[in-house]
Amino acid sequence: MERMSWLSKLTPRAGGQRAPRSASLQPPVTADPETCLMVFKNHWAQVLRILERRGSKPAPDDLSAVRNNTYQMLNLLAEDRPRGDGDRSQGNGEMACGPILEFVASENLLERLLCWHLQGDFTEERKVEQLKLYEMLISQARQPLLRHKAVLTPLLRLLSVCAEPASALLENSLVLLLNQLCVSVAREPAILELFFHSHTDQGPANLIIFSLLIPFIHHEGARGQQARDALLLIMAMSASNRAVAQSITDNSYFCPVLATGLSALYSSLPRKIEVRGDDWHFLRREDWIGVSSLVLFMNSLEFCNAVIQVAHPLVQKQLVDYVHNGFLVPVMGPALHKTSVEEMIASTAYLDLFLRSVSETALLKTFLRFVLLHRHDNATILDTLVGRINSNSRLCMVSLSLFRTLLSLNCEDVMLQLVLRYLLPCSHVMLSQKRAVRDLDIYGKTAAKFLSLIPRCCRPESPPPPPDRDEEPPARARAHGSPGADAPPAPKPSTPSRLSFFMRQASSVPPEAAAPRSPGPPAGSPPWPGSRDEVAELDRNYLEYLRDARRSIDRCAWACRVWSAPYDGEDPRAPGPPPDPESSPGRPPGPPTPRTKKRGLPEEGVREVPGGPLGGDEPSVGGSGPDPQDGGTLVNGAHVATELRRPEGNVVVKKVRRSPQGEGEGGGGAPNGAPQAQPPGWEPLPSVDSLLEELLARAPTEPPGTGVSIEAFTEELREIEAEMRNGGVGGPPAAPPEPPEPPLPREEEEAFASFAALPEGDMGAGRAPPRPPDPLAQVVASPPRAVGPPPSQPFTGPFVSVLFGKLENMPHNSLYVNFLLTGLVAQLACYPQPLLRSFLLNTNMVFQPSVKSLLQVLGSVKNKIESFAASQEDFPALLFKAKKYLIARGRLDWSEGPGATPALRRSDTLARSRKPSLGELLLRHANSPTRARHAAQLAMQGLRDGGLHPLPPLATPARHGEALRVRNAVYCAVIFSEFLKELAAIAQAHAVTSPFLTE
Amino acid sequence: MNPFWSMSTGSVRKRADAEEKTLSGELRTSPLRASAKKQLPSIPKNAVPITKPASPATSSQSTNGTHASYGPFYLEYSLLAEFTLVVKQKLPGVYVQPSYRSALMWFGVIFIRHGLYQDGVFKFTVYIPDNYPDGDCPRLVFDLPVFHPLVDPLSGELDVKRAFAKWRRNHNHIWQVLMYARRVFYKIDTTSPLNPEAAVLYEKDIQLFKSKVVDSVKLCSSHLFDQPKIEDPYAIIFSPWNPAIHDEAREKMLTQKKKPDDQHCKSMHVSGLSWVKPGSVQPFSKEEKTMPT
Repeated sequence: MERMSWLSKLTPRAGGQRAPRSASLQPPVTADPETCLMVFKNHWAQVLRILERRGSKPAPDDLSAVRNNTYQMLNLLAEDRPRGDGDRSQGNGEMACGPILEFVASENLLERLLCWHLQGDFTEERKVEQLKLYEMLISQARQPLLRHKAVLTPLLRLLSVCAEPASALLENSLVLLLNQLCVSVAREPAILELFFHSHTDQGPANLIIFSLLIPFIHHEGARGQQARDALLLIMAMSASNRAVAQSITDNSYFCPVLATGLSALYSSLPRKIEVRGDDWHFLRREDWIGVSSLVLFMNSLEFCNAVIQVAHPLVQKQLVDYVHNGFLVPVMGPALHKTSVEEMIASTAYLDLFLRSVSETALLKTFLRFVLLHRHDNATILDTLVGRINSNSRLCMVSLSLFRTLLSLNCEDVMLQLVLRYLLPCSHVMLSQKRAVRDLDIYGKTAAKFLSLIPRCCRPESPPPPPDRDEEPPARARAHGSPGADAPPAPKPSTPSRLSFFMRQASSVPPEAAAPRSPGPPAGSPPWPGSRDEVAELDRNYLEYLRDARRSIDRCAWACRVWSAPYDGEDPRAPGPPPDPESSPGRPPGPPTPRTKKRGLPEEGVREVPGGPLGGDEPSVGGSGPDPQDGGTLVNGAHVATELRRPEGNVVVKKVRRSPQGEGEGGGGAPNGAPQAQPPGWEPLPSVDSLLEELLARAPTEPPGTGVSIEAFTEELREIEAEMRNGGVGGPPAAPPEPPEPPLPREEEEAFASFAALPEGDMGAGRAPPRPPDPLAQVVASPPRAVGPPPSQPFTGPFVSVLFGKLENMPHNSLYVNFLLTGLVAQLACYPQPLLRSFLLNTNMVFQPSVKSLLQVLGSVKNKIESFAASQEDFPALLFKAKKYLIARGRLDWSEGPGATPALRRSDTLARSRKPSLGELLLRHANSPTRARHAAQLAMQGLRDGGLHPLPPLATPARHGEALRVRNAVYCAVIFSEFLKELAAIAQAHAVTSPFLTE
Repeated sequence: MNPFWSMSTGSVRKRADAEEKTLSGELRTSPLRASAKKQLPSIPKNAVPITKPASPATSSQSTNGTHASYGPFYLEYSLLAEFTLVVKQKLPGVYVQPSYRSALMWFGVIFIRHGLYQDGVFKFTVYIPDNYPDGDCPRLVFDLPVFHPLVDPLSGELDVKRAFAKWRRNHNHIWQVLMYARRVFYKIDTTSPLNPEAAVLYEKDIQLFKSKVVDSVKLCSSHLFDQPKIEDPYAIIFSPWNPAIHDEAREKMLTQKKKPDDQHCKSMHVSGLSWVKPGSVQPFSKEEKTMPT
């Protein structure tokens, strides 16, 4: 009631505003009500004369006479005011109708008029006329009209006459009228009841509104928009009116039409996305706004989203179900599994776009459920998509973008399926290490390890001050990096202090002072005029990485507070059987003796363990002399083959993993500890596309069975190595001699005792490296596993496996793949769940031998880059050019300001997830293909003018492959170094996450 | 932005505690945030103490192997992590705040709520060695030498070493020092005292000891509003209750108690998603909400 009176108060004012319009059509009706009524009756009398002239066909004159008189009458009716208009503000909502309306009702005037029209030749033109008249009447009326049967019934009858498909003109009028009706109904929900009770020959009246509007749901242009707006009004009303909701779901085709309409629209989308640059990897608004079919689809999707936002849960649920069963499963599923790569690219990019555009949780849920659980051809969509990361570069990039979107949702279900469920059993860590899952590295040891993996050839030449540790001239680096060389000169574990130098120096020394580098560039390389400073910037951006890491982790931790469990190794418990409970007959009998092995890179180990038993080829690399062997099989093998995944993907993967072929597939897994000048992985690649085939082709060359022995051998080596380390010089810093008990009386407060007296107690977050476990405890812990083969081969899941595989292959990946890839891993590393965090970032964690750690993968990349640098005469110059080029790209983009980002609904999240660090500068740039290309051209131009090509020119086909190989590797060197800084910063930031975020 | 402290009720104080810690956490990072993009951090000129350790650390690298790789980044982050641990501990009546000038110096105050030292409000400063975490244990010095067997009557330094004979990284944390500092006022230990007089009195003449303690507590309280001993933007300053300032702040703390998330909400309105039923590891295992009828 209150609402009604508010509305009726509003109406006159609105009418007044429209006065000019009516004035232009008709002499203003300023007369008093009585006069108006008389005029009205007069018109009616004239019309009536014609109406009553039955039988004969109306003459044209009659028609126009009726038309004119009707027009006048309806205008008068619209201007008619309820009686007692002046004093009806006293809450007495019920007011009498105006005199004209009363008259109209008593004469059943409108009905009779319509009947007359229907008797004759009711042409489309006349229909349009009528629709317009009613539209005018309803929109301008100064009193509620629809509640009167005398108005409503003929109106509904007119509508039912217009149900047939018709010309655009008629449709426009029809939709406009329907829209107006919905607006009126929304203002006065009580009318809705009347709609329910009035029936026409077409069934209940409310259906008419729907059935007439529904065909326009997916229309383009103003008509479609008006129809959708109108429907949305009804949807909003349904939220508070179950009867409406029920009639929508039970008696209308609204939901099915809406959902299956998506299917129809999807089928007209381009099968192939016209790709403009080699960096294109996802659809931004600018990309699709010009593609009309995509605009249509997005409009409808947006409408679905809006309906779900406002409608009653009943409608919501029905629509969501229809979207799942009527669009996702029958259309999106097959589309994602098309055999042509182009179609896969398109459908993946579409899915990514849809996921980014949907903002309503219920709709998003159905999309995610589809992605995570729906099986198409016996593989879940998720598995298929994960496998695609391994494919050729464009499909890989699009898939990586999709996963970036998925990870940015901070969705527990997604993370559970992708990673966490494989980590839950904790079978990837040594038994003794389970407790360390929750440890936080508060002293930055992990960061130090990551930073120490920056290839020597990429480290900034040392700044002047400490003269003893200045640069390793490239020549020297090459010499030492070459295969079989003696133990490398201990690479300084010093990146951190170098960083600190930069950082601190800034406060005291002007930047220019830091920039000049001591002695010259390597012989033969041209001088680099004036650009050293900007390139040197890259060496100083660690603080930004720290800041970004902090922000990302905070945001992620905050978002994850809605999760059901902390995933800290204890809650939730792993379900009965681990994800792939297959016994592993191939493994050597008896599990490895678990012991604390510093498989990670000992940060000081470089000097302390001079030339270990493994020839000391690079003890600093992930401590991974032997690791690439077994790890390579696991990681790289797994997903090269997953294009043909079966539902039991894990099983297949495992087979591949254990089979020796994985060895060869490593694609870069080839390099064991000793990098060769031209390891097999470095054969020139015509294109990344062919890598897959190449690897597959190479796979079966090794005899079966070797994998097992290699694995065993590896393990042995590792144990020896571990013993060396544990007993060796320095020892792990994690194992300080137990100090004497503090001289505190035992009877002190328990709280105090908890740390003073129970050194092994759960200190929780503070304890970074695990103490060496008591050997006895190990023995005790082992027996159950020592009998027979281990229950299951630990497997960290296809996603991790494929990412690591791709990472290991970094030097061969294109620049853009590497951006996306490293971005994705960094995104993953920001998740605060201890299981995931410890798996990726705890470098002290001891994993099962078959589980490869991120550190090992990175170590192998480091080796590859270094051996490439050693083999490439002009590497420093190329590296410099690559940096300069990348910075130029980034800078150009920055100049456009952050406002240039597209305004997708989720774009703020995406935008915020971007980082101003190098990698993200470029990514941001890559987001805009045209700008990117432009920038690239500019940068290229600049360099050419200076006589330098940023990249080797792609000349003959023969040289093409070589050029690509070099280009990819050089860019990779830049990206890799930045990536390590990013990871180091993330590792550091985890330790300082505010407890308020997670509590 | 200076913190203020009021001697009001416990609940308020408790909240103040949390607030303060958050606040200081924010402040700690602000100098970094101020730095412009792609520029070196604008570390305040006077931020020497943090900066300084860099050089000794660097120079000591050759001699002290285990220390080699701890650049100031690590040091600073380690201390930040330590501070985070302190916050997590929620030690009753103990408040600390790293100084603006150096992460190695923390200001603190202890409120003693029971026992002999009841009503004591003792300001102190924690000095963390610059080779942390591989050095000695942090020192804790009270602004005024509290009359206590373990507090040096001249310097005000608490005998921390007896509890942390050797500072073990990964095992010992600064919150433990703070807990210890609080504990000594509840459990009096007189062995090998720094203040023999206090020790002897405690053993022989508890009444006199008590009265001396009361005097000491009073003395400390009377100096509560003194300017901080060390001038620093983040020093803990007490001021008399000033309704103009404190009432509003107190109100804010009390109202925010219900939804402490607000602060973060503003900066991060992201929310993750979950349809996992607690205890389950199946996606979409959570039951649908029942349909309203």
